[in-house]
Amino acid sequence: MKKVLIAFFAALSLAACAGGGGGEGGYRAGGFGSPRFRLIEPREHDVARTMRVTPTMRWNRTPRMIYDIPREENWTLHGLPLDGLTFIGGLEDGRPLVRWQRRRDIRQVPNFRADMSPPEIASMIETFYRIRAGSVSFTMTGLQPRTFLGQPGFQYDYEHLGGNEVTRQGRVVGAVIGNRLYMILFDAPKRHFFPEIIPEVERIIDSARLENERQRRG
Amino acid sequence: MIRSALVLLTASSLALAGCVQTRQFADVEFSPPQGDFSLLVMRPYVSVGQIQTGGLVEPRAEWTEQARGYILEALRQQQAARGGRTEILETRGGVRGMSDEEVAEIERLFGAVGSAIVVHRYAGLTLPTKRRQGLDWTLGQDAVRLGQATGMDYALFLNAQDSYASSGRIALQVLGVAGCLIGFCAPQIGGGSQQAYASLVDLRTGEVVWFNVLRAQTGDIRTREGAAQLVDRLLGHMRAGRNVRNRRN
Amino acid sequence: MHDALPLTRRMMLAGMGCACCTGLIGAGEALARVSPGAMRPLIGPGYRPTDADERGMWAEYERVEQEIAGSNLLITDPNLVSYLRSIVGRVGGVAANDLRIYLARIPEFNAFMAPTGFMVVFSGLLTRMRDEAQLSAVIAHEAGHFLRRHHIRRWRDVRRRTDLFAIFAMGAGVGGAASGVYLGDAVRLAQLGTILTLAAYSRELEAEADAMGVSLMAETGYEPLAAPEVWRQLIQETEASAEMRRRRPRRGYSLLASHPAPETRMTDLRLSAAEVRTAGRTFDRGRDRYVAALANHRKMLLDDQVKLNDPGASLFIIRNLAADGWTGMLRYYEAEAVRLRGRRGDRELAAQSYADAVRYPDAPPEAWRMHGYALIQAGRRDEGKAALARYLQLAPNAPDAAMVRHSIQQ
Repeated sequence: MKKVLIAFFAALSLAACAGGGGGEGGYRAGGFGSPRFRLIEPREHDVARTMRVTPTMRWNRTPRMIYDIPREENWTLHGLPLDGLTFIGGLEDGRPLVRWQRRRDIRQVPNFRADMSPPEIASMIETFYRIRAGSVSFTMTGLQPRTFLGQPGFQYDYEHLGGNEVTRQGRVVGAVIGNRLYMILFDAPKRHFFPEIIPEVERIIDSARLENERQRRG
Repeated sequence: MIRSALVLLTASSLALAGCVQTRQFADVEFSPPQGDFSLLVMRPYVSVGQIQTGGLVEPRAEWTEQARGYILEALRQQQAARGGRTEILETRGGVRGMSDEEVAEIERLFGAVGSAIVVHRYAGLTLPTKRRQGLDWTLGQDAVRLGQATGMDYALFLNAQDSYASSGRIALQVLGVAGCLIGFCAPQIGGGSQQAYASLVDLRTGEVVWFNVLRAQTGDIRTREGAAQLVDRLLGHMRAGRNVRNRRN
Repeated sequence: MHDALPLTRRMMLAGMGCACCTGLIGAGEALARVSPGAMRPLIGPGYRPTDADERGMWAEYERVEQEIAGSNLLITDPNLVSYLRSIVGRVGGVAANDLRIYLARIPEFNAFMAPTGFMVVFSGLLTRMRDEAQLSAVIAHEAGHFLRRHHIRRWRDVRRRTDLFAIFAMGAGVGGAASGVYLGDAVRLAQLGTILTLAAYSRELEAEADAMGVSLMAETGYEPLAAPEVWRQLIQETEASAEMRRRRPRRGYSLLASHPAPETRMTDLRLSAAEVRTAGRTFDRGRDRYVAALANHRKMLLDDQVKLNDPGASLFIIRNLAADGWTGMLRYYEAEAVRLRGRRGDRELAAQSYADAVRYPDAPPEAWRMHGYALIQAGRRDEGKAALARYLQLAPNAPDAAMVRHSIQQ
């Protein structure tokens, strides 16, 4: 999944030459497909292979990156260092939110378990931000029940601060359906960008529905 | 740190062909400030160092001080010639009616927005929604508040770094330090190198209206002439935005 | 840090570096121990540089300090900061009044000294220390770098040398630094320390700072044996962290660190500590003061560490602290570390530790929450709901209160 920041730095190495250390927790960029952003028009779209959503504005779809998990899709309005909207279309039981995590990595994003309690899902997301997106402080500001994709789910709100000193705000709305975790995550600078974009994100969340079973099998 | 990362990234994304390169982007409705306007320079950052063997750069306090003085002087003169009044914000605490932290937040947000401009304008990862839109980013109401608190029309973010080779510098510089840091490379080939960027924010709207990056292998900002040259290269050739140009034609 | 260092300047920093204890690094040359008795400060109070290179260095670092001072990564709680200042004031020697200290919220074991006399301590250091004497060992070591003018001495040394080793060492330092960038700039501050560690001081200067530090500790009545303890803990933590993930301990970042020899350093510190411990004198550990000063921050410190999901390190740190007695807080974070580790059977182990944690009066409310969910998962729904209710009672305004209430009603 795409924490904006990682994508950003990957983009950096893409922009010039790949290089740099890639030591503990580092990423080696490369193996991108077509590194082009695609236009998302304001109409209904399939996302992350499993959901349908209807934005009311034009968005940019981020090219797939090597560390994206299979059912994942990322959009941005103003660019990767600023805002990111991530769709996770059914993370399977026993899998982490990231791809290419090695068993020997010192710091690891926990695997999702279908029977996780709400605070466990929240701390899984928190760990993701701390070790993959460089957050040094991370605060839950809310965790409440919320219907998502027509199923009982949750809304998780948080703030975090990364090394570039920009305070960011995030909201995740998700649900565990059929032992899979479905989520929409939005993350942006707390100043200006989060409040500006969140109404559109809310519209997208409310529009989200699961593709029906037959379509998914097909 | 963002500011400096910006410089290197933008500089490195310019082709390495020539000696002096600049690349500017502007809001489609941007007109270069002219006439009676005021410009607030946000804690301008200038650094001059001497490159040592192995690529180390030894900062030279007196060179930096000299260069900074000359650059700001040249900037004032340049803007005055266009009718502008220039004020330098030396510290975050220098804005009456705003706390250090509020000013810091504007700088930080600019860092993030600047990164986005670099990635999606300079590095070629164009966003379809912003294609042919010129420069289409904003700092929002915080910047407007800065304008209200200071009464200034524009904020200018300015960062310039320059280094001069010392006799000990050797070929390993390419491998070395200025090399593949942070996942991108900015090998400094040749004797010295200037890297700078400048960006203008319209404090009436909060929008980032103009952004320019300079990379040069010539020029010596330790001298009055060299500093004036840098200011001219960086800010002397502001182009109006596309719509404005089209209307003129 | 906002703004801060252009890469070129970062290199300068790397060259002159400041770090100390973080990496287990040595330059490789075998070197005799420096005796604490041989260490005298090379500067007096109110030192100011006169030579061009050192003035340039100071000018840069003065700007760095401005940026650091304005950073929102700092922990600025005045009580905690003044506590740290009091330790600097005690072990800072002739420079006690010149030294400044900043506390950055970064969960890494690191501290560094700038040539101008400001010191940055990472919160991860406070997480790991058992008492004030241990913390003073790191601070005194850093003060030793300043008192012995290590930055400028090292810088001049590197500048003079043209051998490939020096240059590669720099490059390797930067390479190591690059990984941090992906993690965000902050950890770049951490990386700053890392770079510095590598490129920074030679083994010789580290040995000097160790000796100077031990000497400052003894002079001001801190237990000098705390210094080798800090090293022992760091070695053990590194090993525990690696072992948990079935890999070899990180021996440093350098291609050249043929012989990091942290063990040697620990042994040398033991000898030095014995040397300065004159019979009949009593030395202070300051554990109570330390615990009191950290009381309001301990939870944040442990949380920042445990959420990194480096269970080997986290469990070592927690159990090391628990050598002074288990608390509900420590039990709770032990459970959290085990739960995040997520191996087969860890859920049950964690459940047991949550159950243990809530028996302590100082257990954080979150221990009740996790205890409650663990019970529900184990099929003990009523007991679980009672524990969740207890959580809401202890933390009625918790940000997740709505979710917990919902769970109770299910």
